[in-house]
Amino acid sequence: MTDRTNEQWLVDLTGSPEAQSPALEDLRERLQRGIFYYLSRERSDLTHLPAVELTRMAEDLAQDATLRVMDNLGSFRGDSRFTTWATKIAVRVAISDLRRARYKDFSLENMTAEGDLLPASAASITGSPEPGPEATTERADVMLKIQRALDEDLTERQRQALVAMALQGVPLEILAERMGTNRNALYKLIHDARRKLRAHLESEGLSTHYMLNLFEDR
Amino acid sequence: MTTGQDDPLRKLIDCIFVSHQDEAMDCESCGCQLECFAEKVSAGANLHDLWPDVEAHLACCPDCAEEFQALLCILRAERSGQLDTSAGR
Ligand SMILES: [Zn+2]
Repeated sequence: MTDRTNEQWLVDLTGSPEAQSPALEDLRERLQRGIFYYLSRERSDLTHLPAVELTRMAEDLAQDATLRVMDNLGSFRGDSRFTTWATKIAVRVAISDLRRARYKDFSLENMTAEGDLLPASAASITGSPEPGPEATTERADVMLKIQRALDEDLTERQRQALVAMALQGVPLEILAERMGTNRNALYKLIHDARRKLRAHLESEGLSTHYMLNLFEDR
Repeated sequence: MTTGQDDPLRKLIDCIFVSHQDEAMDCESCGCQLECFAEKVSAGANLHDLWPDVEAHLACCPDCAEEFQALLCILRAERSGQLDTSAGR
C-alpha cells in the first residue's frame, strides 16, 4: 500500500470507523518506528537499556502521540506532509517524557539551597590544570565580572533561570513548570537577561570577540 | 590547549555571547513551523540561507534545538529508507 496524501490522512482519520481504525493503526505504527529509531540511535543516555525496554517505551509514547495528534488535527495547516507534522508532535511527546523522567527530582529550592553556584565554579576554574597561570588569572577575573553582572543586572528569576539553564543544563520546559510559567515566556525572560548581561560586560570592555576567544588555543 | 565544554565559565560565556545579536524569534513561532523547517532541511535545504532567524533561535534555545534535531534525524532516516514508512503491511 502506498502512503496516503495529506487529504487522505485527514479524510480517513475523521471518517467512518472502517476508514478510521486502519488509518489510526498506520499512524501509530509509523510514529512508533520513528520514536524507536530516535530512542535507539540518537539518545546516548538510553544506550544502557535493552531493546525490549526501548520497544516498550516507543509503544507507549506512540500511543500517547497518536492521541495527541487526533486532539490537534484541527491545527494541521498543510504546510508540510501530514506525517512530518504528526512526527513533530510525537517527538515532543517523547522528549517531554524523557525530560520529566530525568529531572523528576529537580527543584529550584534545592538549587538555591546549594548557595551561590558561581564562587564554587570560580574555584574550579582556578583549580583547573589546563591553562597557564596568566590565563587562569584572566579567566578568574572574567568570572568575577560575570558574577557581578549577574548580581547587579538580573532579577532573581532571571538569574535562577539563566544559571539553571546554562550551568546545569536544565531544559526550559522543566524550569518553566517549576517556576510556574510557560516555556515561551521563560525563553523571553532568559533572552532579556542575556541581552542585559552582554551589554553590561561589553561596557566593561569584554567584547563578544574577546569572550569567545578566551578558550581558544593560546 | 582548550578547556572542556563542561567548564562553567565557558558555559556561561556561550550562553551569554553565542546567541545572535538580533535574535527575535521565540519558542512558539519556532515550534509551530518546526515541521516545515525540518522537512526542507532533510531534503537538503540550508537552514542558514533560508531561515537565519530560525538558525539563531536554535543556537540559543536548547529545547527547540533538541526537538528539531530529533525530528530531523527521523525524517532523514525515512528518506534514506532506514525506516519502513509504507502505511500498511
Ligand atoms: Zn525555543
